[in-house]
Amino acid sequence: MSKWLRRYDLNAANSAVLVFLWLFFIAFMLYPLGYVFSNAFFTAEGFSLIFFKLMLSSPNYVTILANSINLGLIVTLLTTLLSLPLAFLLVRYDFPGKGLLNGLILIPMVLPPFVGAIGMRQLLARFGSINLLLLEMGIIDQPIDWLGSGFWGVVILEVLHLYPIMYLNLAAALANVDPSLEEAARNMGANGFKLFRTVTFPLMLPGYFAGAIIVFIWAFTDLGTPLVFEYRDLIAVQIFNMVTDLHENPMGYAFVVVVMVLTLFFFYLSKRLLGGRRYEMLARGHVTSAVQSASPALTVMIYGVVLGISVLALIPHLGVFLTSITSRWFLTVLPTEFTLRFYREVFSHDLTLLSIRNSLLLSSLSTIIDIILGVTIAYLLARKRVPGRDLLDALAMLPLALPGLVIAFGYVAAFSATPLDARINPVPLLVIAYAVRRLPYMVRAAYAGFQQTNVALEEAAMNLGASPIKTFYQITFPLLFANLVAGAVLAFSFAMLEVSDSLILALKEEYYPITKAIYALLLRITDGPYIASAMGMLGLLLLAGSLFIAGRFFGRRMGELFRA
Amino acid sequence: MVGVKFDQVSKVLGQVKAVDNLTLDIAPGELFFLLGPSGCGKTTALRLVAGFYTPDEGRIFFNQRDQSRVPPHKRNTGMVFQNYALWPHMDVWNNVAYGLKMRRVSEAEKQERVARALEIVQMQSFARRVPNQLSGGQQQRVALARALVIEPDVVLLDEPLSNLDAKLRLETRAQIKEIHDKIKRTMIYVTHDQTEALSMADRIAVMRRGRIVQVGTPRELYTRPESAFVAEFIGGTNLLPGRLEETGDLFLVKTDAGIVRAQNGAKGGMRGHPVFCSVRPESLHVRPEESPSELMNQLSGEVQSIMYRGDSEEYCLRLGGGVLLRAVEHDQATRKAQVGDRVTVQFDPRDVVVLPQEESNE
Repeated sequence: MSKWLRRYDLNAANSAVLVFLWLFFIAFMLYPLGYVFSNAFFTAEGFSLIFFKLMLSSPNYVTILANSINLGLIVTLLTTLLSLPLAFLLVRYDFPGKGLLNGLILIPMVLPPFVGAIGMRQLLARFGSINLLLLEMGIIDQPIDWLGSGFWGVVILEVLHLYPIMYLNLAAALANVDPSLEEAARNMGANGFKLFRTVTFPLMLPGYFAGAIIVFIWAFTDLGTPLVFEYRDLIAVQIFNMVTDLHENPMGYAFVVVVMVLTLFFFYLSKRLLGGRRYEMLARGHVTSAVQSASPALTVMIYGVVLGISVLALIPHLGVFLTSITSRWFLTVLPTEFTLRFYREVFSHDLTLLSIRNSLLLSSLSTIIDIILGVTIAYLLARKRVPGRDLLDALAMLPLALPGLVIAFGYVAAFSATPLDARINPVPLLVIAYAVRRLPYMVRAAYAGFQQTNVALEEAAMNLGASPIKTFYQITFPLLFANLVAGAVLAFSFAMLEVSDSLILALKEEYYPITKAIYALLLRITDGPYIASAMGMLGLLLLAGSLFIAGRFFGRRMGELFRA
Repeated sequence: MVGVKFDQVSKVLGQVKAVDNLTLDIAPGELFFLLGPSGCGKTTALRLVAGFYTPDEGRIFFNQRDQSRVPPHKRNTGMVFQNYALWPHMDVWNNVAYGLKMRRVSEAEKQERVARALEIVQMQSFARRVPNQLSGGQQQRVALARALVIEPDVVLLDEPLSNLDAKLRLETRAQIKEIHDKIKRTMIYVTHDQTEALSMADRIAVMRRGRIVQVGTPRELYTRPESAFVAEFIGGTNLLPGRLEETGDLFLVKTDAGIVRAQNGAKGGMRGHPVFCSVRPESLHVRPEESPSELMNQLSGEVQSIMYRGDSEEYCLRLGGGVLLRAVEHDQATRKAQVGDRVTVQFDPRDVVVLPQEESNE
């Protein structure tokens, strides 16, 4: 026993912290998930697979399941096709204004797709701008049903929203490929596509899978976008509808289990298949760069491609913007009368004002929790030998593979009829759900900070007489500061625009956060959508501003945060 | 067999002229070394041969064929990279077979040639390992096999031993030389390690700031350096500054420490000019001061420090005029002197080379 203990850095403080962390994870991750599992597999009569049998024997449910998986796969594929050329052009070529284009590519990330969906609906509706434009020009004489069931609308918005994440990962993966490995292949007679297929792409695969799985899970479980499009044949929407009557209809549990099992399966697959394989670069060598300067013609082409894609990605949000400043937009291509009335209303309307206040409170609290937990966990992982280290690491990263939908559903179910019941006061659970969802980003940001900070810097301070606590405040913390700010800004702004947790957990109007308020406004017929658009624009500005700040602190390593 | 020729080749990288008007003829089948300190342009020259760079000016020939604009994958060179650049997602066998696949060699022949290449470097039993499971020396041998298996016109080696430990480096040196003798292919070998170059090369080009300073056999470079830079870079030497007074049978140089007579040096044109007398530390003999002899080149000084080196002892001496000199004594039966002793240092005129002092101090 004592031998076992001596292998670890355990003192009273460390042990207490560890116990606290374990209790937190047990209470807010393992217990709710376990609760969902047990309700899905156990009925009053004991163990039963009845819900799963029901699900698989219903053609309707099977279609819904297939739709969701299709959505995830199609979005992943399309983002790949869109991002791969972008990554190649921007990593391998130097040209004037490269930094600017790099920033431009990332913009769509700050545009929440469910807000964009409002604008998209306005543009692509039966009597929306595009059809009206085509009718006026005489190209068509019957309005085209662009959105159809809504499936492709969801696909387009998610692709336009998620390709930056894919791009960040592919660009990082490509930049990490040791140029000498490609040179060796060319020296052996490979070139062009052959070189890409046999050497470059295989070496990019781990990075690719890390990004692809995030994109897949996001698309697979997105709730806001399909709700705005009123596309109901997705598993996420079904679960959302089942939250309210869980007691009468326990099918919801089975659905959540299916989502969870599938995401974990894909997550495992991506790690297992190749993502887990690390190609550490070999011994140091002659440093060459694979970056060439682009010819003028190529520069023009690169600008064309990037600007084209960015404009495309901005169109839905342009629609949102127009909607938000329109007092009259009916059967015309562009609005006919403009107003700022709806922005004023955002700040006077009861529901919106309350929701802004709620969101600020919830996000601040969850960010504080994230900072405390994130720094503590990162410190233990980076600096201390503690028992169960790998498990702690896995638990802190688990939310990457756990859709917000699953967490929120688990909370509603597991904590009903407890002091934390979301039906009575959802604030504590909302705060914790936000915090848990963004914890991986915070842990990563802090962990990266600890890794960049050489232990010798801390040892030097202690050698000169500083106590461990003094050392932390005077040496470690200042060195970590940039990373912490970046992590905190991200955690805060994503919490402000968190969709699925908010929709599911905020069950009372007085506790609505911004996103739920936008959704509620959309359902109102009169001026709801306009106010919702104005509010969406404000949220968008907020997220853009905070990502910009985070980028300033985190610099080029921003991509490291958005990967599995 | 293929000879490689640089014809007035220049290459600018960033702001630096990495290779500056380089003209060089490498004979077919030669084991040719590019030697110089880091940043001298030797690796750039090698990469110009591989085709990773195209010359800004001048041309590169393989025999009579102009290769200047030929892309790397069509040059048929086999390169051993400094970091080996083994593909981590392929096992040893596939790494070695890669070049043959690109050349669409038949399956049977591929099997046979890969096996033979692995046998040459004694890695047959490691064919199914991936690079990360190999030691540095093993990776190095796989990289060599991969370069050799395609039967390249020229084998290019970029500091191939710099990531190995000292003992392995000696073994691998001998092995590469042996392979060269066996396959008789032109090899261009880049290194900053002069002992490596001296012990292996047929000929060496010493490079500095993108230019070739001197080309010759190892013996020529060691015994007849043409510049202070080469004398210092190859083997290490003492440079005594002075003025060349006479250039008869023997050169006569007046230094601050006394008169030095020398048998070797560049011809004429330097009389009255400032020069260096280059004397290797091992050519110096240290004696107690009060043991007069009739020999030429006796300078007196004081022992500043003594460093014990196992097989020899190195004395640092301060001569008249503040000139510092290193002397290496291999005969250590008795210590020649103690720190602080006044001593006489003597050397043969045959061991002295008179070299021009370079105009600028760059």
